[in-house]
Amino acid sequence: MTHASHPAGELLTPHTLLVLRLLAAWRALFSLLALLGALAPWTGLLPGLPVWQGLLISVALGLAAVFSLLASRDILLRRHRGRMLSLVLDYLSLVACFIAVLQIGGVFLGIDALGEVFGRSIWFLFVVLAGYLLGAAGDYFLHDPRTEALLRQIGKWVMLFGALAFLVVANLPQGLLALARNLANPAGLGAVAGMVVFGLALWAMWRSPTALALNARTGHEQMLSGWLFLSPNLLGFLIFFAGPLLLSFYFSFTDSDAFNPPNWVGLANYARILNVTIKPLASPDQLAREVLDISVYDEVGRLKIGNGGLLFGAEDRFFWLALRNTLMYALAVVPLSVIPALVLANILNSKLPGMKFFRAVYFIPSIAAIVGIALVWQWLYNATVGYINYFITLAVEFLNNTFQAGLTDPKIRWVSDERTALLSIIIIAAWQTMGFNTVLFLAGLQNIPGELYEAATVDGAGAWDKFWRITLPLLAPSTFYVVSTTTIQAMQVFEQVFILMNPPEGPNNSTITLVLYLYRSGFQNFKQGYASALAWVLFIVIFGLTLIQFRQQRRSSIYEN
Amino acid sequence: MNRKLWMLANVFVLAALVLAACGGGTPAPAQPQQPAQPEQPQQPAAEEITIRWRTRPDNQEEINVYSTISKELDAQLDGIKLVYEPGGTEGANYQDQLRTEVAAGTAPDVFWIPGTDIADFATRGLILNIADLAARTEGFDVNAFYPGPMYHLTYNPANGQSGANSGALWGLPRDVSTFALYLNLDLIEEAGAPDPRELAKQGKWDWEAFLDVAKKTRALGSDIYGYGASAWWGPYGVWLNAAGGGFFNADRTACALNTPESLKGLEFQRALYQEHDVAVPYGEDPEPPFRAGKVAMFQNGRWATPGIRTVTFNWDVVELPKGPNGHMGNWLFWGAYVINAKTQHPEQAWKLLQALTTAETQGKVAALGANIPSRVGQEAFDAFLTFTPPANNQAFLNGLADNPATEGPLWAGSWPEYDKIMGPAIQAVLTGSKTVEEFGATICDEANKAFNK
Amino acid sequence: MKSYRVITFLKNLSMYLILTFFALVMLFPFIYMLTTSLKLPADTFRYPPRLLPREPAFTELPGYPDKLPLYYVEKDGQRREFALVRSNIRIGTFAPPENPSAVVERFLSEVTPTGQSVTVNGQERELFQVLVDGQSVPMIQLSQTTVGEFVDPENPEIKAYQNVRLSQPVEKITWHFENYQKVIELQGLDRALTNTALVTILVVIGQLATSVLGGYAFARLKFPGRDTLFVFYLGTIMIPFVMLIVPLYQLMVLIGWTDRLAALIVPWIFTAYGTFLMRQHFITFPKEIEEAALLDGASRLQILKDIILPASVPALATQATFTFLYAWNSFLWPLVVINVGNEKNHVLTLALNVLRGRASDTPNLILAGAAIAILPPLIVFILGQRFFVESVASSGVKG
Repeated sequence: MTHASHPAGELLTPHTLLVLRLLAAWRALFSLLALLGALAPWTGLLPGLPVWQGLLISVALGLAAVFSLLASRDILLRRHRGRMLSLVLDYLSLVACFIAVLQIGGVFLGIDALGEVFGRSIWFLFVVLAGYLLGAAGDYFLHDPRTEALLRQIGKWVMLFGALAFLVVANLPQGLLALARNLANPAGLGAVAGMVVFGLALWAMWRSPTALALNARTGHEQMLSGWLFLSPNLLGFLIFFAGPLLLSFYFSFTDSDAFNPPNWVGLANYARILNVTIKPLASPDQLAREVLDISVYDEVGRLKIGNGGLLFGAEDRFFWLALRNTLMYALAVVPLSVIPALVLANILNSKLPGMKFFRAVYFIPSIAAIVGIALVWQWLYNATVGYINYFITLAVEFLNNTFQAGLTDPKIRWVSDERTALLSIIIIAAWQTMGFNTVLFLAGLQNIPGELYEAATVDGAGAWDKFWRITLPLLAPSTFYVVSTTTIQAMQVFEQVFILMNPPEGPNNSTITLVLYLYRSGFQNFKQGYASALAWVLFIVIFGLTLIQFRQQRRSSIYEN
Repeated sequence: MNRKLWMLANVFVLAALVLAACGGGTPAPAQPQQPAQPEQPQQPAAEEITIRWRTRPDNQEEINVYSTISKELDAQLDGIKLVYEPGGTEGANYQDQLRTEVAAGTAPDVFWIPGTDIADFATRGLILNIADLAARTEGFDVNAFYPGPMYHLTYNPANGQSGANSGALWGLPRDVSTFALYLNLDLIEEAGAPDPRELAKQGKWDWEAFLDVAKKTRALGSDIYGYGASAWWGPYGVWLNAAGGGFFNADRTACALNTPESLKGLEFQRALYQEHDVAVPYGEDPEPPFRAGKVAMFQNGRWATPGIRTVTFNWDVVELPKGPNGHMGNWLFWGAYVINAKTQHPEQAWKLLQALTTAETQGKVAALGANIPSRVGQEAFDAFLTFTPPANNQAFLNGLADNPATEGPLWAGSWPEYDKIMGPAIQAVLTGSKTVEEFGATICDEANKAFNK
Repeated sequence: MKSYRVITFLKNLSMYLILTFFALVMLFPFIYMLTTSLKLPADTFRYPPRLLPREPAFTELPGYPDKLPLYYVEKDGQRREFALVRSNIRIGTFAPPENPSAVVERFLSEVTPTGQSVTVNGQERELFQVLVDGQSVPMIQLSQTTVGEFVDPENPEIKAYQNVRLSQPVEKITWHFENYQKVIELQGLDRALTNTALVTILVVIGQLATSVLGGYAFARLKFPGRDTLFVFYLGTIMIPFVMLIVPLYQLMVLIGWTDRLAALIVPWIFTAYGTFLMRQHFITFPKEIEEAALLDGASRLQILKDIILPASVPALATQATFTFLYAWNSFLWPLVVINVGNEKNHVLTLALNVLRGRASDTPNLILAGAAIAILPPLIVFILGQRFFVESVASSGVKG
């Protein structure tokens, strides 16, 4: 903060000069070590290392070596770029060493063991909380400083006791011992030493005198802070999101099967997914084998037109069935969960007493675990003793007795009948997302200025007019948000199907969905390359749907304006 | 000040969690193939080697049976510490989970897989070929077990041979089983229907008699069913077999679902669900209603016995009715203990494999009710008959004696894929959305794709 | 004026009716779950279904070693509670061959086969000796069923016979809370619960920490590449998780994290969405306060910790809410990465998946398990209801 106020490159103390030289030497050493590391995968020292990993290591370390060398020169020339490069390189190395310490020390894997003691120790966290609350209760005694101080004091001690008890019950002493034991080997000690060395180097470079010597300015400081603040997120994001995403893209061009090294197959996976054919039919019931090359294609569906029709065949029948089911599902779930939500939100917005209660009740289904929900609905849907069929029976009896409707009880076999299996999934989803959407709509409604309605009332508009002319247009952003999130979620339906249907594909593949098929390909048939290609196709479908909705929204809002 | 304290406490607790986390690393049961615990190899040699093993239990009673067995064997086997883990049930994708775990290197050392999956696991290299280990073991004889399962367990995909000298041995059969009908005797009596056990003794237990009993019991009420079977290939396969058909041709290299015999069996079964409406709707689990006393005849294997022993009504078993070709079309179900290809202790795993399949152990498993020993022999039969209830244990042996079709993998193709094509298509027929003719016209075009080209 | 009031009243009434209907639809599955989880297994298979758990009542009678179940029996035009002492008594309907409509009902033990037979409608039928008004009459059997013998517990001499299955048992309402104990033992749900809590807590804390830091950097610190990076972050928000499932699984295999709770925690700590939400919030924070603090010599971290965070509790809570629900309810990833046999590392959703197969004959236990998974978030929700709903609502408008 302050170093920019001094003119750059002025007097250097011998001490600072020494630090600079040392740092430059360190960069050169670092460069050398990195270069050696980059060559290591190709010397046979690391047997069993897949080629792509070796490549990755070499590229990363090679780059580090080059940049480090550059930095070394920059430091000697007293360019600020050298400081930047050094900080970045040392910081990354420090993080790497830190992760290595955690991994070698067994911290990540030890979380499992924490599961064992957590059940016992969690209660002491409540003691800590109680202590905090006690301390916080001091706020109510501001008129009586002595009581306030006493409460705060007691609270502090209770918290301290809770925390200590928690640590002891959670096996902290053994934990530290184990950590030390795990680290007491060349790799562990190396990682610890690395942390110390890189930490020292960072500190030496970060210090104001060094910064001054290398002509640092406020902008630089902000930039470094920016990257530093972002770095935990960015690094994790790169490792656990962007990296896998790229890897997924790569896998989609291979025949990766999780057991053997993947082979490059080019576009074959995509070609298989998208290989479809449409053939005219001579008669509506003509057999598929008479019109299709059945060694390649399977029948997906047919459109009967008069005395003929069209036959839709695909190489991967299951993908197209899954796509059909998923789209049908989404197409049904979106209106079923959005339109009632809109109605309910308008009622809830009427400022009558008790609305907050209803709002809370509607929200409940959306916070419950889908796995649990599906198990509950499974029994509600039971064809013989389930409540849903019982209610239907009651309704039919009522109608027949009161109106002589002459209806027959349908006795629907919800989950085992091809015609209702998908519907039963749709009903659950609509039930579960409706309340969430209601709350979102309600928030949108409350943002609409009341004057608009007042003005409309003065103009003599009816309630219906107001809804169509004011509410709906002004609610468009909420509607877009609700519809697009519901669609994106609907396209990824998996849990309900997996739990509710046995087998999950449902009767005659009527509930096979894209994610289910992806799971089946990747983790049952272990065609992980193919599954990756499916994932990208799924993404494109979702992206396309969202784009369409976005266009729609823009068009309608332009029209309104 | 308060806020600072709160933040401090948060940071403190978080750090403590992380620190405590590494603590557990040691006491937790270490996984043998995890290189992350450096102290593992340094352990003294006297330490017992831990072998994890797994079977697929279908209910808590079976878990108890195998937990007991594991404890007994643990005491018997020197230098080996056994850890039994139950694994998922049929509905919870037992085999798929196993494949994932073998790929990830976390699967148990020894595990049980159904006979249908042997080929898939073997050709993917997930299980160990133990032919060499077996050859070095004195007194080990492949022919002590049922020949049906052993044909597949010794099949060598490299040379297409099978038998003691094929150069392949993928595992040893845990047990065998056949289907029988579990009877709710109270319902049958209430319906005034003839006793199926008597009919079977008189040789009159055929499809017609079966349908008669089913119809009479179904007439008792809208929530009472005459027949119930789960939705997988076993139950529906029986009707195809009994009519003289089957899933595959004789050498298991092509689909045979569209033969007139297969279609005839399917048609009878479809009528049970559709025209006569005597069966628990296909796709709904029939075991809960059976145990609640609402199903008269429940088709299942011996493995269901421990669970059914808890019901309160009078029950027994009867063999499957004979089909038009004079056979009941039963399956010889089997599954095998196999060794994880990535195990670190193949020798010990092989020891466990043998211990799990000795006549003694199998007797114990059978005594607890779960299954029929996989070793052939009159003694095994005689012992099995004493494991009551059910009183009519002979029904299972009659099934075994009636030339059942052996459950088997597809060495010439992929059974999981075949199953995924066949299952939904049959379900479509049994739930009434497809006719048997439509099924027969197209099924083999689709199903033959599961065979290697 | 009066009619206006009436109309308003009717309007409000209809609104409340609609709201109540939907509220019932929303709540019914939960009520069903809770009451069924307290039933006995046999009670769950009863038709017609009943909401409240019931248990059959028993009595003891001299001369009978076992407890006897009580049933309602129609006797002398009265509905009375009788004890079932014997079941499966065979009873048949008989009629003379020449007059099939003159039906009499007799226990099978009371009739004797004659050994003769007679042809009726072309079918050969066996003849039985049946006593009618003290006379033995040859008859054919028309049908057969079973009945049970019921006796009056006060006076065991008074007997009644009727179908047992269709008789209504005497029942009392009982709540079987031990079901929860049972399911916890059966499936180790206590461990699954602590694991889920642990995973959820760590994910929420970790994600908040990285998002706050990242969001602050995006909102307040200028550095080259920031805006490009932000657009990149924004672009990835739409990418669904399933895109990553295969490579992430292989990554876990590579670093030995399969079957580890770490695999359920660490990858979820770094999210673009959370960072985005935080940035959107921080950017609304007045810059002047921050600049003043900077001039006072405060560091960026101090500013974030002491000034910005305390003012951001609602935004933090919103994100914590979303993360909590996501982590608590996630299923596909644990299914892929956690070993099914390693029940020590199961989270609740996984335990439920195993439980549904293992306890398929006892829906009461399955639903007790579901309740254990569903109730904790529900309780958290009910405690912080207002805050919860409003934070979600606000996120929707801004997002």
